[in-house]
Amino acid sequence: MKLALEETSKIAVITALPNVLDAENAAEFKDEVTRILQGKTQVIFDMSTVHFMDSAGCGALITALRHVKDDGGVLKLYGVTSQVRRVIELVRMYKIIDIFETKKQAMRSFQS
Amino acid sequence: MPGDTLNNPSQCTVSQNPCREVPAKVLVVDDSRVARAYLELHLSKAGYAVTVAKDGKEALALLSENTSVVLLDLLMPEMDGMACLRHIREQHPDIPVIIITVSHEIAHAVDAMKNGAYYYVTKPFNPDEILALVEQAVRARSQTKKLHIIEGQLNKVHALETSVAAQIRKSLLVTGLPGELHGIKAGGLNVASKDIDGDFYDCFAVGSNCIDLIVGDVMGKGVPAALLGAEIKKRFMNVLYKLTRPSGTTSHPSPEKIVSTVHKEMIRRLREEETFFTLGYARFDMHRHLLSYVDCGHMRPIHFHHETNTCTLLQGVNMPIGFPLQDTFKQILVPFTPGDLFLFYSDGITEATDAKGAAYGEDRLMKFIRRNAHLEPRDLCDTIYKEVASYSHTESFTDDITCVAMKVDLTKPEEQSRPQWHLKIKSTLNELDRVRGFIVEVCRGLGKTMVDGERIKMIQIVATEITTNIIKHAYAGKKGKDILIEATTSPDEIMFNFYDWGVEFDFSTAPTPVFDGSREDGFGLHIIAHTADYVRYWRDEDGRNTACVTFFLNKRG
Repeated sequence: MKLALEETSKIAVITALPNVLDAENAAEFKDEVTRILQGKTQVIFDMSTVHFMDSAGCGALITALRHVKDDGGVLKLYGVTSQVRRVIELVRMYKIIDIFETKKQAMRSFQS
Repeated sequence: MPGDTLNNPSQCTVSQNPCREVPAKVLVVDDSRVARAYLELHLSKAGYAVTVAKDGKEALALLSENTSVVLLDLLMPEMDGMACLRHIREQHPDIPVIIITVSHEIAHAVDAMKNGAYYYVTKPFNPDEILALVEQAVRARSQTKKLHIIEGQLNKVHALETSVAAQIRKSLLVTGLPGELHGIKAGGLNVASKDIDGDFYDCFAVGSNCIDLIVGDVMGKGVPAALLGAEIKKRFMNVLYKLTRPSGTTSHPSPEKIVSTVHKEMIRRLREEETFFTLGYARFDMHRHLLSYVDCGHMRPIHFHHETNTCTLLQGVNMPIGFPLQDTFKQILVPFTPGDLFLFYSDGITEATDAKGAAYGEDRLMKFIRRNAHLEPRDLCDTIYKEVASYSHTESFTDDITCVAMKVDLTKPEEQSRPQWHLKIKSTLNELDRVRGFIVEVCRGLGKTMVDGERIKMIQIVATEITTNIIKHAYAGKKGKDILIEATTSPDEIMFNFYDWGVEFDFSTAPTPVFDGSREDGFGLHIIAHTADYVRYWRDEDGRNTACVTFFLNKRG
């Protein structure tokens, strides 16, 4: 799995997430994210490529969130597709991760 | 006691008995010839038919039901007045007896009145007083006679009503149960009380998978209650027919929809008649092994669980039908497994009392069911009746004794339908993609209008979660083990069975989901439970585990 990292000022935007984030690749995703986010405190995930996510995928996102938080940072999402949104609602993840419609909105939230 | 006018009889106006076509018969009993003659003269002149007797013995021989009044002396040879009075009271309790006594023996007269005499007159006689008293007594006698006639007529009417109500009950209220249908056995019993309650039940097949049971109890007794019960039953049939027809599909209206519609159609009439009825509407879906139950204030049915040999009560949320402030009715869903039994019953059973007035009660009934659940439904109902009769030491109950037992066959649920789709995979996580492809294939087979893309994705997530659980837990990550997925579809629903031959899933070890971000696992079961409409899990005797999930297509609840 190869994630892409764009860095604008202090904000790290992770793109090119896999189409499916499930039990098969969740462990690999966790490793990759942990590696790539080393030392990053303002992180945004572009979720628009993820069309299917299961509970293991949720677990991977929570791992990423905790990793960023441990470094004193914040993780935000944007471009969440309908199935992923439904799962996020089911496990109430919207309570612990901020979700935005667009990249712009997510970026701006760090500035305010 | 005679009326107030008799407290001072001397002031009464003398009535001459002129209006009677047949003269009232007065029997004068006195050992004094002079007294007899005196009374005979005055009473005859007033229009009475008088017979005389010189002692008690002779009086009893002359006495008949046609005698209107007896004037009885207390002091006589042969049989004295008191003894004679006792005989009259025994043989003709309604004939008034006026005691003749001398003024210094009034205490005796009072004794006689305690023993049922109508009143007394004292010697020497005052003719006006006597005539006034006799007239009062004659009137009292004739009113008593009329009362007896009316009483007799009322009894006849009541007997007729009871027999009409019994006829209605037999032919309309508790019609026969189907015995066995779609893998469920039914047995019922209704023993009518003295006055006939409005208890009713009915059981019928709905479509090829469901059996519906209605049990109810109309407030009140007799013909009105029985007729209303019969009408309610008919109304349910009409509503079921009406709600099923327009859609033109094979789907059936839900029990809550049926009950709400019947309520809407009947509420006005129930309010006008100031009555109501309690009801239980149960639908046994033998395909999904699911009971949908609408309770409207009826007795709580008992669910006997075959696997654990335990009983639970089904608790509904609705008020009786006819109560104000209620227009929608909610159903509860209760999964059942083969061998389970449901008992529906009337308050006549749990409210039957023993000699000390203690009610039989739900707890005792549940214990009894646990001991006797092996019986066939009809035999179980008979046994319950015997049990309640022996508890209350009677077979003449004030309430109807009604119960219906429904028992699910012991065959395995998966043997009852033939799956149309299969997928066999090995226990590796890279098979998850194939599982999701299989879901798409099954759903597309039903047509786009039945399952849209969003729904397919939600079904996919459930399939992914179950398959992942099997690989990680049942097979503990071991590769190369078999997993079989079967799908059965109907216009109403899609059912998936996931089979594995690994370790049985232990629900007690599953972590409770924590939503505060402190844990990253434990969400799988939560997602399954909140996405599928119905979930079951069991292990066969041959070591095969089945996770069965059902998705309703037209969200009928």
